[in-house]
Amino acid sequence: MAINLRGSFVLDEVKNVRINIGKIVEEEMEWEEETGPTPKPGIMELRKWDRRLLERYEPFYAPMQDFCNLCTMGPCDLSGNKRGACGINLKNTKARLVTIACSIGSAAHTAHARHMLDHIIEEYGEDMPIDLGPDVNVEAPIIRTVIGIKPRTLGDLREALTWAEKEIVKVLHSTHIGNEEDILDYESKAMHVSMADHVGMEVADIAQIVAFNLPKADPDTALVDTGFGIVDKSKPVIVVVGHNVMYARPVADYLEEKGLSDKFELAGLCCTSHDMTRYNAKAKIFGPISYQLRVIRAGIPDVIISDEQCIRADLLSACEEMAIPLIATSDAAVRGLPNRNDDPVEDIIEDLISGKTPGVFLSEPEKIAEVVPKVAEAVFKKKQETEMFLTEDQLIEEVNKCTQCMNCVFTCPHSLRIDQGMESAQKGDFSKLASLEEVCIACRKCEQVCPKDIKILSVIMKTGLKGLLSKTGKTRVGRGPIQDTEIRKVGQPIVFGQIPGVIAAVGCTNYPDEMVDLRIILDEFLRRRYIVVTSGCHAMDIGMLKDEEGKTLYEKYPGNFDAGGLVNVGSCVANSHIAGATIKIANIFAMRPLRGNYAEIADYILNRVGAVGFSWGPYSHKAASIATGFNRLGVPVVVGPHGTKYRRAYIGKPWKKENWWVYDIKTGKKVYIEPAPDSLLLAVETKEEAIVQLAKLTIRPNDTGMGRQIKLTHYLELSKKYLGRYPDDWPIYVRSEADLPLRQKEELLKILEEEHGWKIDWNKKKILEGPIRPLDPGFNPTLVEEVYDKYSRKK
Amino acid sequence: MTKVKKEEKYPVAKRFDIADIQVSREAQAVKPEVVARLIKRAKRPVLVTGGYLLKEPELVEFAARMYEKGIPIVATGGSSKPLIEKGVNPLVVSYTLHHFTQYMQDEEWQGFDGNGKYDLVLYLGFIPYLLSRMLSSLKHFAKVTTVSLDQFYQPHAKFSFTNLTRNKEMHYRMLDELINML
Repeated sequence: MAINLRGSFVLDEVKNVRINIGKIVEEEMEWEEETGPTPKPGIMELRKWDRRLLERYEPFYAPMQDFCNLCTMGPCDLSGNKRGACGINLKNTKARLVTIACSIGSAAHTAHARHMLDHIIEEYGEDMPIDLGPDVNVEAPIIRTVIGIKPRTLGDLREALTWAEKEIVKVLHSTHIGNEEDILDYESKAMHVSMADHVGMEVADIAQIVAFNLPKADPDTALVDTGFGIVDKSKPVIVVVGHNVMYARPVADYLEEKGLSDKFELAGLCCTSHDMTRYNAKAKIFGPISYQLRVIRAGIPDVIISDEQCIRADLLSACEEMAIPLIATSDAAVRGLPNRNDDPVEDIIEDLISGKTPGVFLSEPEKIAEVVPKVAEAVFKKKQETEMFLTEDQLIEEVNKCTQCMNCVFTCPHSLRIDQGMESAQKGDFSKLASLEEVCIACRKCEQVCPKDIKILSVIMKTGLKGLLSKTGKTRVGRGPIQDTEIRKVGQPIVFGQIPGVIAAVGCTNYPDEMVDLRIILDEFLRRRYIVVTSGCHAMDIGMLKDEEGKTLYEKYPGNFDAGGLVNVGSCVANSHIAGATIKIANIFAMRPLRGNYAEIADYILNRVGAVGFSWGPYSHKAASIATGFNRLGVPVVVGPHGTKYRRAYIGKPWKKENWWVYDIKTGKKVYIEPAPDSLLLAVETKEEAIVQLAKLTIRPNDTGMGRQIKLTHYLELSKKYLGRYPDDWPIYVRSEADLPLRQKEELLKILEEEHGWKIDWNKKKILEGPIRPLDPGFNPTLVEEVYDKYSRKK
Repeated sequence: MTKVKKEEKYPVAKRFDIADIQVSREAQAVKPEVVARLIKRAKRPVLVTGGYLLKEPELVEFAARMYEKGIPIVATGGSSKPLIEKGVNPLVVSYTLHHFTQYMQDEEWQGFDGNGKYDLVLYLGFIPYLLSRMLSSLKHFAKVTTVSLDQFYQPHAKFSFTNLTRNKEMHYRMLDELINML
């Protein structure tokens, strides 16, 4: 019989002693799982796991600067790995910089979570139960694994968040002058703070799903309009920008309550738009950060609400140029605007409409809800119909100013040949300029350096308007978590390899080339029946791109977490469900305990779960911490070429046999293995290279013969298709003839014999000698001594 | 192709991105004959090709001609496909530039064929910002001579062609001249 002893008790005569009995009793009653070795880990608790990873996947550094000027003893020349005045060397400054970047990313999600959780608890109370639907019992896999608690209510999430906040501060402390001197220790801290990031993301998304009733693991959510050309300009247009739906939500509610939903357009930029559509599927998605200036310069919004993260730092001036009132709502980005929270709504509206102030800071949800539609309506009525970006005459005038000095080319992130486009346009051919729209990230750096003050961005957008408008389609609304039942179905085929892998396309829009490449890459894997999971900007970009039949990937593939499924989990913070799905595989399929048991779970994932992260256009600090958090969890990540500017990668060296080993719990021996996966963080240059590397990185030591055969089949086929021949390293992934693709078996055996000196029994078509290790169906790998001891004892 | 004439002025060696600045030495801008001498003196030269070969067939032609002159090719970024179609047999096709740069920083690594470290690495056909990061890594953490043959001046290489973005024809003529001297 359970006695409800919830509450605090103070013992008489004993000062400063407080016992929280109820919580312990309830948790024990509901969760019989033993607490693992590392609940609420500090910096040191998982260091051993990190060093295991980092000794195998050696950090690689690519300095952007070879000097340091962070303290007053500098600036210091660190070139050639010299040491500066404080004693730090170049490699260590890069490790520190990555740690700082990951701390920023982690702080962004965690502060977002804190803001949201406190607000939600105030509104709904701390006892609101965490209910993610009937198919989700493992409600918070990251929190269970890292913190060691099973949160039942919103109030319980505070414990996880407090831990994350504490660890972020501790890691940030380590970046102060005179602290860490070993790169592996900095990398361990980067991993630690990035794990905290995953906790912060999970808190934020669980809180908003529960409180705002967002989709709860529904694979068949609505399809919403996405892209530049989605809004009906005959109505007032309200645009939300950023990552925190807390401020846009009351506007949607207000419009519903007043019966005005059909009289306004509500559309979003960046992740707030994902969460808006999760809240209200009538909302629309304009696109990612690279669409901010496109949308503003086109004069589409009648009012803009900004919140936080990945919003342009020149948002206010961009809005001012187009006379679009701005309402900043987050204290993370006040933008120099006056705080009008205490003012009457009428005064705020009047000042915004009259242009007395270009914007206001307003964080009271009720006031935002009332101000925004009224301002949008008034601005809309005043607005005169104009051509988007420029008139034809203005376009020609701007183009004719160009002298082909090429300053723009030498500052463009993609070295776009704007000069050539302008030159052709001066002769009457605008097609070259128009084609730049496909690759342009609308950063406006070109305009900063143009000696003739040409509105280069507007020129590119105007000439490419047809293409811009054609990028309009449908995105399947973010579904949040993966169901336990889905994991039960796919856990075994993923671990054994029959489902060749999970590709998680996550991140920003700093693509090396046209956006359509992302679609091509993901389509290749969907057709081959990998599971593709997506979120954030990647998830909305593929919603803009249609095939010849006019369909987006969301309209071609189902939304369930299964072979050939395309799963949009939602916004940045919903990335936690992707990490959570890998953890759930270890728990639900393999019955591995989660509670404070991080290293065992990460070790399981590294050795068994063929999941690979993919960020084709990363740029934010959040992308750095998301990726590094996945790395600590045993998930490799492939980034596009801009990802090298994070300055650090984790790349293994296959020829170093001593780095590639595991303990085999079955035989009790240390076994040398194939380098699978061979890297934890790797940049690629082209879509062709991305496809081949992603296929390779799904290979895991635990693959069964059939699983390895399937994975190798794809790896070999894709390499032949995109690289022109078989990959160079395929033989190292062959453990027996059972691993070989059936159709090419004889051909491959011949290559192994003739080119690699392997011994083959041709009568039986068996490999006699050659592989790094033989295929053993009972192979049970681990890199963690404690896991080896635990399961060896059980045997 | 006609040779770049002495009286024809080489463009200024301007960084491909004006903000990609470091305090250490910048690449020496070199003419084709200097690169040819470097190749002739090298014991283990290698040409690394990148993704631009998929967009610029002329670069495939030049790489194939360098291969014919006995320079092995490490094909990255999918550049192997058009090269193989031209009859080239690259040393490797499925390692990325990132892999290769990491491997070159290891004292023990003996090259893809196990015959020893590369002492001269030539680069052709890369996204400039990607190559810049890799060259920066090698500049600070490895002992290898790097040469960029791309149209963009690469400040972190040891040697680089000057900036030829304005004059592609000159870029091609310089590559042609280099190959003819091998």
